[in-house]
Amino acid sequence: MMDKYSLLHKIGIYASLALFILFMLLPFVEMFVASLRPIDHLFSRPKLEVGETMGFVDFMSRFWSDKMSFQAYRDMWVTVPQLPRYIFNSVFIASAVTLLSMCFIVPAAYAYARFNFRGKTTSLTLFLAVNMFSGAVLLIPLYKLLRSYGLLNTYWAMIIPGVAFLIPTGIWLLKSFLEKIPYELEEAAFVDGASRLYTLRRVILPLAVPGLIVVGVAMFIGAYAQQFLFAITFNQNRDYMPLPAGIFEFIGYQTVLWNEMMAASLVGVLPVLLIFLFMQKHLISGLTSGAVKE
Amino acid sequence: MATVKLKNIYKNFDETEVLFDINLEINDKEFVVFVGPSGCGKTTLLRIISGLEEATSGSVIIDDKDVSNAPPVERGIAMVFQSYALYPHLSVFENIAFPLRVAKVNEKELEEKVFKAADILQLRDRLDFKPGQLSGGQRQRVAIGRSIVRDPKVFLFDEPLSNLDAALRGDMRVELAKLHQNLKTTMIYVTHDQIEAMTMADKIVVLRDGVIEQVGSPMDLYHNPKTKFVAGFIGQPNMNFLKTTDTEIKNKRLVANIGDLTLDLAVDVSSTTAGDEIDVGIRPEDLGVSASKAGVQMSVDVVEHIGATVILHGSVLGNSNFCAVVPSDSTIKPGETVNLIFDFSKCHAFNSSGQALKKTNKQI
Repeated sequence: MMDKYSLLHKIGIYASLALFILFMLLPFVEMFVASLRPIDHLFSRPKLEVGETMGFVDFMSRFWSDKMSFQAYRDMWVTVPQLPRYIFNSVFIASAVTLLSMCFIVPAAYAYARFNFRGKTTSLTLFLAVNMFSGAVLLIPLYKLLRSYGLLNTYWAMIIPGVAFLIPTGIWLLKSFLEKIPYELEEAAFVDGASRLYTLRRVILPLAVPGLIVVGVAMFIGAYAQQFLFAITFNQNRDYMPLPAGIFEFIGYQTVLWNEMMAASLVGVLPVLLIFLFMQKHLISGLTSGAVKE
Repeated sequence: MATVKLKNIYKNFDETEVLFDINLEINDKEFVVFVGPSGCGKTTLLRIISGLEEATSGSVIIDDKDVSNAPPVERGIAMVFQSYALYPHLSVFENIAFPLRVAKVNEKELEEKVFKAADILQLRDRLDFKPGQLSGGQRQRVAIGRSIVRDPKVFLFDEPLSNLDAALRGDMRVELAKLHQNLKTTMIYVTHDQIEAMTMADKIVVLRDGVIEQVGSPMDLYHNPKTKFVAGFIGQPNMNFLKTTDTEIKNKRLVANIGDLTLDLAVDVSSTTAGDEIDVGIRPEDLGVSASKAGVQMSVDVVEHIGATVILHGSVLGNSNFCAVVPSDSTIKPGETVNLIFDFSKCHAFNSSGQALKKTNKQI
C-alpha cells in the first residue's frame, strides 16, 4: 500500500495514540506504585515550608523509593484470609455467566443471521434498547424477582442477571460474524443431506470459532466487570463474594490498607489479562479463506 | 438410468414472475445446458430441480418419480456451486467425504470412494490440503469430487467455470466433457457462456425472461434458430441483422430489398405478406469477400486478427454493428472498404415478433 501519511502526520498520530494509551494505563501504573509502597509511606508528605516547592528528588521518591517492596502482596492474604476464595468466586461467576450466555447466544444469533421471521428487526432493536438500561436502574425489580424465586444470597443471584444483561450484546456481535459465513456452504451441506443441526455443528460453528472466541472473551470481561453491582446488592454471603466486593474488607474501622487493596485488585485483574494473552492468537480472522471465491 | 421431467413449472418471487410454464424432458445420460442472459431464470430452474428452491406450481419428476416436495438428498442429485462452497476448515479428503459422513458410510467404504473420486480428478496428492491452499481449478475439482462420491443419478452444475480464468476454463471444459463420458450420468449445466453450451452440450435449452426459447442440439440451434434471440445468442461473433420493410413474395419465396442488396430467400411465406417488416440475419462466418466489385460494400472500422481468421467490424447498408469473418491471409486495413457476398441459403429471416421463417430448402 502506498504510504499516504507524511512524517508530520505520523508524529501527530503516534503522539495522540501515546497520549490515549498513557491516559488508559496511568491508573494501572498508579495502582502498581501504590501497591509497592508501605502504608505509612503512602500518606507521608515531604516537609515543606510555606511557599517552598518540592525538590526533584522528593518528587521522584513518590514514584520510587528504597522502602518499596512486594510486602503488600504477602500481607494481603493475611489481612483478608478469604481472598483466594473471592478470586475463585470472581472467575467462577464470570465463567458460568460466559458459558450460560453462550448457550443462549449461539442458537439465537444463528436464527437471527439465517432465518426470516416476523418481528425479527423489532426484537433485535428491543434487545439493543434493553441494553441501554444499566443494571442499576433495574436493581429493585431484579431484587424482588430474585427474592421471590429464593435465589438471593446464592451464586445464581449474580449469574442470572449477569447472563440476562449480556445476551443482547452477544447476539449482535455473533450475528454479524455468522452472517459473513457464505450461505452456499449451508446449501451445499443441505444438498448432501445434512440436517440443520449437523450443519451447525460440523460447518458453521467450526468456521465461527474466531467469532465465538471474540464473543466469549467479551462476555467474560463483561461478566467480570458487572458482577460488583449484583454482588453487593443480591448477595450477603461472604463465601460467594466475588473479588470486587471482597476488596471492601481492606477498608477497616481505623485505616484503609490502600497498598494491599491495590495489590489485591491487580491480582484480581490477572485472570482477565491471562485470558486475553492466550486468546489473542485465536482472534485472527481469515479462517474462511478458500471457502468461496470472492 | 435417470431421466428428468419438468412439468408446467412456474416460479414467482413475491410479485415477480421468474419462470413461466416450463416443460422439459431430459433423457438418461444426456448433458443438458441451460443457457441465457443473466436474470433469465436458468439458475432458479436448476435450484428447483435440486430442491433448494420450491416451484410455485408444477412438478419435477426424476426417474418417473415425482420429487417436487422431496428434499435434495432424496432426489438423487448432486450439485456443484458457482462459488465451489468448500468447507474451508476441512481437508480436501474430508470435504469430499462430507456427503458420506452425513450418510454414515463405514470408514473403509468411505476411504475407498474418496480415493476413487480423487483418482478420477487427479487430487490424490492434495487430499491433506485445506481448500485455501489450492488453486481455483483444484478447488473446482474438489467440489466436483464431493458430488461424485455419492453416485448421484443427476449432476447439477451452477456456472461452475465462471470463476476461473480463460485458459483454465478451456481445460476444465474438456475435463468435464471427459467426466461425463466416464460417469455416463445425466448432467444439467447452467451457464451464461454460449461457448460452454456449444462445446459441451448434447442438448441446449435457451432461456429468456423465464421462458424456454428453444431446445435443441448445439448445431441445430446454430443452423436453425427458431427466434431472433436464439440466433443472436448462439454463435460467436454474433449474427448480423439487417432490417427492412421493402419485402415482396415471389414464387412462394421471400424477396427482401435492403438498399442495393436484394435477397431471395427460400423460406415459408405462408404467414407473411409483402411489405412486412423482416429482419434478415446472416452469420459473420457465412459472408464471403468478393474479389470484384460485386456484392455489398462494407466500410471497415476495426480489424481483429485472431490467428486462424480475421474479424472485420464496420458498417453495411447503414447498420454500423456489422461483422464479417474472413480468411487470415486477408490484408484489409481499418478505413478501407470491402465487398461482401451474401450466400442466400445461409440467410435467416425473422418476422417482426422475432420468430424465424422456416427454411424451405427450395434452391433457386
